[in-house]
Amino acid sequence: MSNPLADMEKPDVIFCIGTNMTEAHPVAATRLKKALARGAKMIVADPRRIRLAEMADLYLPIRVGSDTALLLGMAHVIVREGLADLEFIATRTEGYDKLVDHLQEKTPEWAASITGVPAARIEEAAILYGSSDRAAIFYTLGITEHICGVENVQSLCNLALLTGNFGREGTGVNPMRGQNNIQGAGDSGALPNNYAGFQPVDDAANQAKFEKAYGRRVDLEKGITKVTALEQCGDRIFGMLIDGENTVVSDPDQEHCIHALKSLEHLVVIDIFLTETAELADVVLPAASWAETDGHFVNTERRIQRVRKAVDSPGEARPDWWIIGQIARRMGMSGFDYDSPVPIFNELCALSPIYNGIDWDLAESGQYQWPIPYRGHPGTPRLHEDAFINGRGKFSFTDYRDPAETIDEDYPLWLTTGRRLESYHTRTQTGRSEGINELLPEETLEVHPGDAARYGLRDGGWARMSSRRGAVDVRVQTTRRSPQGTVFASFSFADVPINVLTGSGYDPITHTAELKVCPVHVEPIAEKAQLAAD
Amino acid sequence: MNATTSDIQTTRTICGYCGVGCSLDLVTRDNRIIAVHPAFDGPANEGALCVKGQFAYDYVHHPDRLSHPLVRDGEGRLRQASWEEALDRAAQGFMDVLQKHGRHAVYGVASGRTPSEANYMMQKFIRVGFGTNYIDNCSRA
Repeated sequence: MSNPLADMEKPDVIFCIGTNMTEAHPVAATRLKKALARGAKMIVADPRRIRLAEMADLYLPIRVGSDTALLLGMAHVIVREGLADLEFIATRTEGYDKLVDHLQEKTPEWAASITGVPAARIEEAAILYGSSDRAAIFYTLGITEHICGVENVQSLCNLALLTGNFGREGTGVNPMRGQNNIQGAGDSGALPNNYAGFQPVDDAANQAKFEKAYGRRVDLEKGITKVTALEQCGDRIFGMLIDGENTVVSDPDQEHCIHALKSLEHLVVIDIFLTETAELADVVLPAASWAETDGHFVNTERRIQRVRKAVDSPGEARPDWWIIGQIARRMGMSGFDYDSPVPIFNELCALSPIYNGIDWDLAESGQYQWPIPYRGHPGTPRLHEDAFINGRGKFSFTDYRDPAETIDEDYPLWLTTGRRLESYHTRTQTGRSEGINELLPEETLEVHPGDAARYGLRDGGWARMSSRRGAVDVRVQTTRRSPQGTVFASFSFADVPINVLTGSGYDPITHTAELKVCPVHVEPIAEKAQLAAD
Repeated sequence: MNATTSDIQTTRTICGYCGVGCSLDLVTRDNRIIAVHPAFDGPANEGALCVKGQFAYDYVHHPDRLSHPLVRDGEGRLRQASWEEALDRAAQGFMDVLQKHGRHAVYGVASGRTPSEANYMMQKFIRVGFGTNYIDNCSRA
C-alpha cells in the first residue's frame, strides 16, 4: 500500500475495484466502514454484487476483465471536466500531454460498450473521484489476476496521478495483500529479478555486493518465474524445493501442474500438513507452524512485525529456517551456520537498503514501516510524500485488451474465482478448524436465477462445469450476487478443484495467471450420492 | 487436574492469515492454544479480529500435523524417516540433479505464509547453492 492502514479512515471518496474486502480482509474493511460512518462516499466496481457493493454510494457492475476500459473512460471524463490537478501534474508527473491525446477516444460511451456499465454511471464515478480533495483507491487480485494486470494497475495510477491523490493522508493507490507474509517474501529476495530489498539482480553493482556477502557469484541474468519453471519441469527443471505452498490446488490448470511436479527427478516439500503437493514429493520435511516459530511478518502497509513462538511443535517438526539451513550445510554450502532466526534477520537488514535502519531488537516494537534507510530513521508510513522514488510519476498509455479466452457458443458463461470469508486458500488450515468448518462445509457455484433457469440448474442441485481444460462437479447456489452471465466459485476446496478449469492465460510481465476470467459451460447432473450408488 | 490461572500464558504475535497483520495474544496452557485475544494496541487492527483470526487456530494441534520427516521408499510410498536420513536424501537429490543437469535445473518456491527468515533462507539457498536466480514465491497464483 502507498498509504498506511490508518489512512483508510480518512478519505472523502473511496474507490474499491476488484477487492472483496469484507470477506478477504475483514479487519481492513472495518476502517472503510468507519470512513463511511463519518460521511465518506464510496464507489465500488466489481462484477459481483458483493457486500462492499451493497455499502457503496455508487456501484459499477463491470463485466469480468473490463477494468482497463472503465478506468480509461473515467480518466477521459476527469480531463474533459477540468478535474485534473494541473499543479500536481506540472510539478510531480510526466507524460500528461501525451495522455490527454491518448484519452481522446476513450469516451465513457466507448467504456460503456465494453464494461456494460452505462456511460452516465462512469461519468458520475469519475466526477465523484476527481472532485474530492482526498480520494483513495483500494484493489486486490480482481485487478492483478488478469492477462492485463499490469495495465489495470497502471490505469489506476493514472487516475491518482491525474488528480494529485498521492503522498497525502487518505489518498493513494493501495493493494491489499492476501497472505500474512507475501510482502516479506518479496522483501527478502525470494524473487527471480531482485535480491533482498528489491535490488535488481541484473545490476552489476548488486551482483558484486552479493558476491562479497555470499562468497559466490550469482547470474547477472534474471531467473525464471514459478510459472515458467512449472512449464519447464522434466525438460529443463529437474529438482524443486517448495516451502509451504499447496501448488497443486492453488495454481491454475491443475492437470498440467500435477504432471509438471511428477516429471521432476527430485521434489522436496516443507510443510505442516501432507498437502496434495507434499504427496507428490520424494522427501517431505515437517515444519513448525505459525504459533511455533519466531521471526517476522511484513503486512500490506509494509509494517515489519514480530511473530513469537507460543507452543512447541508436534513430534520432530522444526522451523523452516533450520530445515533449509540443514539441507544447505549437507550440500557443503558455507554461510548457513545460523543457530537462531536472529542473525538471519540481521543479515537481511544489513543487505537491504529499505531495512538498513533496523535490526532484530529494533523491530521488536512493530512500529517500523519500510523504507527505513538508516539508523534513527522513523520509517515511512506514507510513500511518495515529497517525491516519487524515480523522480516523476509517469503516466501510462494503457489500452483495453480482451481476456485470453472469451465466451462463445461452447463456453457461454464467465466463471470468476475468489475467496470466501470462512475459508483460507486451499483450506489446509481452516479445513482443520472445527467451528469454521461448520460455517462453510462445502463449495458451491453461485449462479444467477436467470442462468439457472436457462441451463436447467436448481438451487442445491449439482452441476458439471467445464472449460477448455477440464470439468468439475459442484453444488449450485442460486443468488443475485452474481449477475446474469457470470458464475462464481472459490478455489478453496480440494474436492471441488476449480483450478482444473482455469489457466487460460498470464500477464506477460508479471506472469500472474488470469484466475479471474474463465469461460465455462454448465449442465445439470444427478446428485453426487446417486452417482456413487450407481 | 484443575488448572489455575498461573498455568496460563499469553504470547503476543501476529495473525497468520491475510496480509492485514492483526496483532493478537495467543492464550496457552499445557503447550496448547486455548484462546486468541485481539490486541487493542495492535497498530493494524486496534482490537479487531475476523472470524479466521479469532477462531481458526485448532489446525495447530490437529492430528494431521506432520510430526516426522517422510521419504519415498523403493515401492513409491512415503515412509517415516529420521531427520538424518531425510536431510541427507534431500541434499543428495539436489546434488545429483546439479551434477546431471547443471545449475539451472533446480528451482526454489518460497512461501507467503512463512516468516521472512524462511524466505531469506530459501533465496540464499538457491543463490549460494546454484549461483542462479531460480527462486520465486507464491504471489503469482
